[in-house]
Amino acid sequence: MKFLCVLCDQAMKLVEMAPPDRGALSIVYECPECAHRIAMLTNPLETQVVSSLGVQIGPGQGDISKCPFSGMVQEMTGGVAAGDAPAKPAVVWTEAALQRLQRIPDFVRPMARTGIEKYAQDQGLSEIDERVLDHAKDHFGM
Amino acid sequence: MKTYHDIAGDGGSDVIGQVVAKKSQIAESLAEVRHLVAVGSGKGGVGKSTLTMQLAEAFRGDGARVAILDADLNGPSQARMAGLRGAPIVPGAKGLVPPKTASGIGVVSMGALFPESQAVDFDSVSSGDSYVWRATREFSAFGDLLAGVGWGPLDYLLIDLPPGAERTFQYAEFLGAAAAFVLVTIPSDVSRGVVSRAVAAMRRTPNRILGYVENMSGYYCADCNEVRPLFTGEAGVDLGLPRLGAVPFDPELAAACDRGAPFSDESRPAVQAVRTVAAEITKLLEVRG
Repeated sequence: MKFLCVLCDQAMKLVEMAPPDRGALSIVYECPECAHRIAMLTNPLETQVVSSLGVQIGPGQGDISKCPFSGMVQEMTGGVAAGDAPAKPAVVWTEAALQRLQRIPDFVRPMARTGIEKYAQDQGLSEIDERVLDHAKDHFGM
Repeated sequence: MKTYHDIAGDGGSDVIGQVVAKKSQIAESLAEVRHLVAVGSGKGGVGKSTLTMQLAEAFRGDGARVAILDADLNGPSQARMAGLRGAPIVPGAKGLVPPKTASGIGVVSMGALFPESQAVDFDSVSSGDSYVWRATREFSAFGDLLAGVGWGPLDYLLIDLPPGAERTFQYAEFLGAAAAFVLVTIPSDVSRGVVSRAVAAMRRTPNRILGYVENMSGYYCADCNEVRPLFTGEAGVDLGLPRLGAVPFDPELAAACDRGAPFSDESRPAVQAVRTVAAEITKLLEVRG
């Protein structure tokens, strides 16, 4: 979907997106020439149809999650949503280990995080780096 | 006045760019997979998942590197059959490390992640209209699995498809021409008729259909040590495809699947039949690379 300022015959640019409200999005566009602004307001079904593609809408997603199963994931992990880091981590992840975590599908991330942290704690470790992940892989016979 | 095509990009979210990027990630993730084989049918309940697992065992028995992706997100069964329900999830260097069966078959299935008592419930900000967007969401999640798993070098990645003639066609479109298809039927015209629709739909794609497998082609009675008929009557529907083999129903195999135990007793006709099918598939794939 694109927006055109008819007066200037110019493509309008996305400038702002309000936080989602009950599934509805408010996305503001501006004409780069005359600075006229319009807002596209989506209804929940329209939001759902586009987000079902697994894409990010607008410059930031707010709470429109890319994870298709965040409800189920929260149930499985006792309230940790997809992509969430626990408020008080018992163990620390290195940047490289976190990058590995980011490469796996959104909906398995919280379960992977929980499982690996438990493994690390069982091993008496306070930091999770790539070596710990490799050891976990061997430990679980994968 | 400018039209849609006169304006580069989109309204700011770059939705198409994101979809294209996902396709690139999938291609990268599958780069070392030699043969992508989808096992489908059109008809449900014909034993696609069981056959997929048994084919994987047959390939593995020949020393091949094999993995299975359970594409049936709503009714996943591979995790149970592989004995991998609740398997640990480990992020590897190139994505999720697929949990492996005792024989070394990597298996990725939603059934490993969520308990069977839980319905696969996709998030929605709009209620009561999932028929509008659910298929899109499912394919998006399927793409996430293809792209987010470190498949590594494989001789065969078997994709266990959900039922539905049109669904089979949609998966062909999603996977692209590189995916070869094996269709499964049982010896009844009700099943052949539905599979025939899947074949007709598949003709609209560039995908290669290697042939079909007649599953539940009689049942094996261990007491009599013979295969007895399960369905009667002659086939009235011609699928117009090569028959890759006929696999008898074996109650012991079904029980092993329920337990998540391997079943590779070479003396059983079902195992022998699957090995024949696997050899036929290998031969066909090798002929045209």
